[in-house]
Amino acid sequence: MTDEELKAEVTAWLAANWRGAPPRTERFGRDPRAEWLAKVRDAGWAAPRWPAQWYGRGLSDAQARIVENCFAEAGAPGTGQDRSNLWANTALAHASETFKPQIVPKLLAGEVGMCLLYSEPGAGSDLAAIRTRADRVEGGWRVTGQKVWTSGAHIADYGMLIARTDWSAPKHKGISFFFMPMRQKGVDVRPLRQITDESHFNEVFIDDAFIPEENLLGNLGGGWGVLQTALAYERSVMGDAARGARSGAKEAHGDAALLELAREAGKLSDPVVRQDVAQVIAWRMLNSLNTRRAKAELGQGTSSSIMSLGKLAMSRILHEEGRVRTELLGPESLLQGPDHPRAEDANFLSLNAYFTSIGGGTDQIQRNIIGERVLDLPREPEVDRDVAFSTVIAGR
Amino acid sequence: MTQVMTHEERTALRDSVRRLLADRCAEADVRRLMDTDTGHDAALWRALADLGVAGMLVGEAHGGSGLGPVELELVMEEIGAALSSAPMISTAIAAKLLDGDRARALAAGELIVAVAPLGAWDWTGQSAVRISNGRAQGVARFTPDGQIADLALLAGEDGVYAVERAAFTATPLPVFDRTRRLADLHIDGPVERICDGSRVAGALAVGLVALAGDQAGGARRVLDFTVEYARERRQFGRAIGSFQAIKHMAADLLLEAESATSAARHAAAQLAGDGADREVALALAGFACADAYVRCAKDGVQMHGGIAFTWEHPAHLYLRRARSGAQLFGDSRHWRERFIQALEARS
Repeated sequence: MTDEELKAEVTAWLAANWRGAPPRTERFGRDPRAEWLAKVRDAGWAAPRWPAQWYGRGLSDAQARIVENCFAEAGAPGTGQDRSNLWANTALAHASETFKPQIVPKLLAGEVGMCLLYSEPGAGSDLAAIRTRADRVEGGWRVTGQKVWTSGAHIADYGMLIARTDWSAPKHKGISFFFMPMRQKGVDVRPLRQITDESHFNEVFIDDAFIPEENLLGNLGGGWGVLQTALAYERSVMGDAARGARSGAKEAHGDAALLELAREAGKLSDPVVRQDVAQVIAWRMLNSLNTRRAKAELGQGTSSSIMSLGKLAMSRILHEEGRVRTELLGPESLLQGPDHPRAEDANFLSLNAYFTSIGGGTDQIQRNIIGERVLDLPREPEVDRDVAFSTVIAGR
Repeated sequence: MTQVMTHEERTALRDSVRRLLADRCAEADVRRLMDTDTGHDAALWRALADLGVAGMLVGEAHGGSGLGPVELELVMEEIGAALSSAPMISTAIAAKLLDGDRARALAAGELIVAVAPLGAWDWTGQSAVRISNGRAQGVARFTPDGQIADLALLAGEDGVYAVERAAFTATPLPVFDRTRRLADLHIDGPVERICDGSRVAGALAVGLVALAGDQAGGARRVLDFTVEYARERRQFGRAIGSFQAIKHMAADLLLEAESATSAARHAAAQLAGDGADREVALALAGFACADAYVRCAKDGVQMHGGIAFTWEHPAHLYLRRARSGAQLFGDSRHWRERFIQALEARS
């Protein structure tokens, strides 16, 4: 199919089908646009780079971009999930042949709510030190442990869970990766109150919950490898976009918005302000140029070296934009509440910047990853790396 | 008519320049040239001309390759990485201003042209040259490649004027970066108006893209050899690159170097395609590439430690080049201001 034919087909399909859909406000939980997304999926546009067997069209990256551009022009969501849908990409790459056909179509349509069950109180940056256990039973596994920093757990149908299945193996090698059903006795979700005074995160207490056999992703004990695929997608999504305003509105932190704020504050003629504003906008632009270049290099399920930089870049952008916005507002930034939306945005941005610089692995861990995996610098010695995990915890 | 190269052709061009420079512009060659009066390697320039590099922006009708900013930027990444003193930026600018036999001679590598601003332009050159009645008189300061120029061009909003060699004397400046030579041109003699001023902005943009490529290539090279050293150098029984203090600096520099490459290539593409974001992209490259290069070169010295505080180590050559590039066509503060102006004009 030529590019022109493809473009014509997508445009015609959108003209015949796209009538608008409710906005998505939450990254987690079931998607209010599910009906539309199912249509997109069934037409083969949700993940056009994927093979037809998996709702795709086997398109090249260049042609898939044509599809994405057509959707973007129409303002229609739902395509490009072969790049952006963390859950579906992970399931496609690693789910069992029994589970894959059950879950992949639902993930593409946003018909199931998802959450991440990775971090634990004792396993943050050192994620491989998890102690949540999954023990083999008839027909599946029984899980007990505690997870934290779980967005959307209260509205999730499944959690992507890492749990220890082999205590005699070294810490990275005894971990397995599951899709755990969340709506069951034995899964208790409690909200956490965050630095921003919001509650997007939860603690999840798991007590003898059940996971069916087919919900294991990858091999038993191979969970760390599956996690790397999932993390690469998550980091790339975080580098792409981060919430800058409490409203979640993207316009609130576009290039024009910061300029506009400076103008409103009567400071756009201040040469120092102009330099600061220019620098923030420049970093944002450089990040999207980097991302664009990286995406050209990103094949399915692999991570690009530039891609790993997006999160670091975004952290710097958000923290600096928070500072600049605060300076622009001056004493107004002391206020909060609905009557002071500009102050709300500046203060929210300043605090929520940590969502990017700590979440999904701190910037410091990210620098280790870049140093070791991209620049091939030697690892820091780890005393517990090749030791049976049961021995490691016995020594603590 | 600008020729469009395929990705493969571009890669082949870049590789041939890279091989030539690896062979003829190694560190020892760079240092040898640093100690000469002109800093110029005539044989290497001929070889670059034979590869089609000198005339890459000259139209095919005048013996050039008729290529555009995208290919220029790629070549400049190699020139910057090798610290070559080849007068490529001046030549690229001149290619946008010259026609006829002069363009032909430029493409053949037989004519070296220095370009100086006339009036208020972005670049460093502070020109106090007056033109009246077909004569020019005054000094064009800080002119790149002035010490080896066969012809000088004075480029201003009102027009572009050619000054033959007999009508100026070039005083080489004692420059801090010996890989990028500058001279004061003392001009007193007849000038020839060769075109109106409409081409000048485009020519300057080409120079800016060329410099951005030089900076991106230099930033990447200094990062590469710094990281290589961090893998090899051992202290406390470990490679220093295994320490987070060094590793984290390296990660930050990778972001800088990649951003410089993105900015330089984006500016080149926008200039080639006459894209809507041209002014924004050029201004962005004007400071992002300079800042990234300076940071990579500075931190590169720091990460090496004592060895890079010696003259014999190449890191300071990159730091010098980074610092000179950051002033050449206007400093970062200037380009950030231009950037925000371009954004204001867009919104």
